[in-house]
Amino acid sequence: MNREEVKNEFKAHLITYLNLLDITPDQIKDDEPLFGGDLGLDSIDSVELIVLLDREYGIKIKNPTEGRQILIDVNTIVDYIVLNRTK
Amino acid sequence: MYIKDLSSISPQITFTDEFLNGDFKIHTNTFYSAIEPSYSETIPSSLLRRMGKAVRMGIGAAMPLIERNEKLDGIVIGTANGGLENCINFLNQIIDYDEGMLTPTHFVQSTPNALAGQIALMSKNTGYNVTHVNGALAFENALLDAMMFLELNERNSSLIIGAVEEISNYNYNIDQLANRYKEECVSNDKLIETKTNGSVCGEGSTMFVVTNDSNNALAKIVDLKQINFPTKSELEIKLNQFFIDNELTLENIDLLVLGNNGDIQFDFLYDDVKSFFPADTEYVYYKNFVGDYRTSSAFALFLTTHLLNGQLLNHAGIEGNLTKIPKTILIYNQFEGIQHSLILVKSVEE
Repeated sequence: MNREEVKNEFKAHLITYLNLLDITPDQIKDDEPLFGGDLGLDSIDSVELIVLLDREYGIKIKNPTEGRQILIDVNTIVDYIVLNRTK
Repeated sequence: MYIKDLSSISPQITFTDEFLNGDFKIHTNTFYSAIEPSYSETIPSSLLRRMGKAVRMGIGAAMPLIERNEKLDGIVIGTANGGLENCINFLNQIIDYDEGMLTPTHFVQSTPNALAGQIALMSKNTGYNVTHVNGALAFENALLDAMMFLELNERNSSLIIGAVEEISNYNYNIDQLANRYKEECVSNDKLIETKTNGSVCGEGSTMFVVTNDSNNALAKIVDLKQINFPTKSELEIKLNQFFIDNELTLENIDLLVLGNNGDIQFDFLYDDVKSFFPADTEYVYYKNFVGDYRTSSAFALFLTTHLLNGQLLNHAGIEGNLTKIPKTILIYNQFEGIQHSLILVKSVEE
């Protein structure tokens, strides 16, 4: 799976896990901040994202400092998935 | 305790005046799903996306009341199962992910008091906040709690009280195995007369603003009684005592609102209660509108309040024997012969 395919898959998971009503993958910009941006995600969503990465890609984020550097936007997350996924 | 305002989301279009204007939605299934309004104007999308159906319906029914009634001293909710779909999703995830990392949203939404908490957050109400979960008496427990609260508090105190139940696929299947629901699809206009095993599953949320001030009230909830596992004679004794306590006789009841649900295993209990009253006592059913669920008596109270105010007399869905505007109504409901309740409601003029 190339990076573009991973990105599209991740956006689909994002919509499902966070139940983002009326939002399509195309509407989620790659470099838009997930927190504090138009998506309006909050702290509960950050936990949902950590669970998403664990379940779908076998990535465990245990260090909060590391998490803050990963969970910025779609690009940073997809880059991390490509490098660190175990499934 | 007086009912000042009310709202309902149910398998009928009760969130607008369509139901009051005589519209009767026909459902032909073994479950009657609620007809929900668009929530976009009442619930921010950031909150709505996390809400399960029970919380969503509860908020949808409660918010119009909160907007119309500024001073509310607390929130009392009755629900047997709360956000059941989220609850079972959460439990399944524990197994599916081998007790690993779990998502918080399902858990937060699955607790029965999620609705009362969410109403409080959205309305910034920091008052009394309680959720009752006593099965098919959950709403009656909430009513009793509200009555005691209003007795103890100063005049002009008011509460939002209500009930919610949702149909969950998981639980529907479990209840189906327990013969709670019919094997055949039944149209709701024929539900009461089916007389086969089981009933149909319904859902919905009904909310009321109750107060201890009779000004502008729609109805008066005079008293209620809860009874568990009674025999026919015990039920008759309890009923007679209930009437003595309220200085009434059986002849004073203008209308019985009965919880018949078409289940041949238990509908005879309603005939038993009807037999205690004079033969010409009028009666109507209510589960033909909404199906059966543990807190459906909240919808019975919704129906009762409108009947006391001269509405719904010629409604297409009214089944029973109703010829005149009632002034005194007794709601009788029971769940599988185990939990029984009586709610006495009067018009404010009485």
